[in-house]
Amino acid sequence: MASKILTTTLRRSLTLKTIPHIRPLSTATAAVTEPSDEISMKGVKISGRPLYLDMQATSPVDPRVLDAMIPYFVSRYGNPHSRTHLYGWESDEAVEVARTQVANLINASAKEIVFTSGATECNNISVKGVMHFYKEKKKHVITTQTEHKCVLDSCRHLQQEGFDVTYLPVKNDGLIDLNELKGAIRSVTGLVSVMAVNNEIGVIQPMEEIGEICKEFNVPFHTDAAQALGKIPIDVNKWNVSLMSLSGHKVYGPKGVGALYMRRRPRIRVEPQMNGGGQERGIRSGTVPTPLVVGMGAACELAMKEMEYDEKRVTKLKDRLLNGIRAKLDGVVVNGSVERRYAGNLNLSFAYVEGESLLMGLKEVAVSSGSACTSASLEPSYVLRALGVDEDMAHTSIRFGIGRFTTEEEIDKAVELTVNQVEKLLTNRFGILKKW
Amino acid sequence: MATAVPPPCRSEILSLFRSILRSARDFPDYNIREYTKRRTIESFRDNKTLSDPSTIATVFSDGNSQLQVAKRQAVVYSLFAPNIKSIMDIKH
Repeated sequence: MASKILTTTLRRSLTLKTIPHIRPLSTATAAVTEPSDEISMKGVKISGRPLYLDMQATSPVDPRVLDAMIPYFVSRYGNPHSRTHLYGWESDEAVEVARTQVANLINASAKEIVFTSGATECNNISVKGVMHFYKEKKKHVITTQTEHKCVLDSCRHLQQEGFDVTYLPVKNDGLIDLNELKGAIRSVTGLVSVMAVNNEIGVIQPMEEIGEICKEFNVPFHTDAAQALGKIPIDVNKWNVSLMSLSGHKVYGPKGVGALYMRRRPRIRVEPQMNGGGQERGIRSGTVPTPLVVGMGAACELAMKEMEYDEKRVTKLKDRLLNGIRAKLDGVVVNGSVERRYAGNLNLSFAYVEGESLLMGLKEVAVSSGSACTSASLEPSYVLRALGVDEDMAHTSIRFGIGRFTTEEEIDKAVELTVNQVEKLLTNRFGILKKW
Repeated sequence: MATAVPPPCRSEILSLFRSILRSARDFPDYNIREYTKRRTIESFRDNKTLSDPSTIATVFSDGNSQLQVAKRQAVVYSLFAPNIKSIMDIKH
């Protein structure tokens, strides 16, 4: 009872004293001067924070994850590699617990997990590290055209060094053709890299079948499972993967941390990309960031408990969103396979509507067109181009990301705002509301 | 060997339920608040049919630690609440 009075008074006094637009003790550089009831940024004025439907770009940190992390910023701030005192020991213990939590989610052993700074770093280690290690005998890499930019860029880097890379095309539904994969494997193939769930269209590749093919031809199989972790059940033995990239901030954990799964039986070796003191079994030197790693572990443990509940709910919300939009608009196309997809990623194209204007009018909903990594350029996304989507349909694609914290009201509001904006754009263009 | 912890009685469970819902109200963030309310209601409803006393005791103590997490995080989120609220809290 006393603690409740304490927290209430503490909260009241602190929130009253906070100066509205400047936090004097904070070092935040983006000081937005806000009049009391609206935000003005980049020429856009909105009255409240947009509703967040961009879960593939990143996900909010779950309060239970934050609760696990804070002690490691406040009091248990030791370096886990310090061997001589309590601070190091407790920090190391926390890292090992987190390692087990991550391993349990993918049915691996804790000894097979290496912590890195994110899935991009894991992809770099996997693609470049494996090929450099086996460069005497293996000269060929197979990947797909819809991979994440970091995998494609690493492959391009390898091509410049003289390696051979095959970029497998995808069918119209975003899945690769297994016979083409079999045909592309040669005796000098050193790695097959196929991402589990695509970040732009949400399509789930046939992982077990690819794993079987790789086992048959004895080629290491790497997958970027950043979007798949915690959303679909992952089993490294069923999939027969040798390497798997995992990301913390896609499973409601902190940004800046990721994990690389490296199989021990049969052992896959990589050349380290970060040299130094030999931390993380020499694969990734550098101080392991204990709070971030603890956060990722807590997020993975939560994901294991909540996966079934989240999945049912996200599917229900996705159906509500799609049916709501389709009830009012025609010419709505879902990009990517409808059967083999993760429900929380809905990539829609609207016919006869210009993509940039659609996004500019949807300022109260935080969505994206194309992936966050490629949104700087004006070109339509390469993933949609690989699917064979027409140029103009590719330009109007919007990706709705639904997650654990999305509510039915948010979906209804997003439907209302999208339908209004699309109808407004159709009316302006033709002077009449185009119906067909 | 420790004596078995007696399972919680109905009023204790109801009190825990109400406390978690009360702490959910204190979150300034719209999404977290709605999630906490919804998840609490659904998980208490799913666990209603449990009969084994030791399972009930475990789940109850787990619920208690979740309550403590929620109370702490409600304070933290309030301390750093953004000045402008979410659109969902303003319209309607």
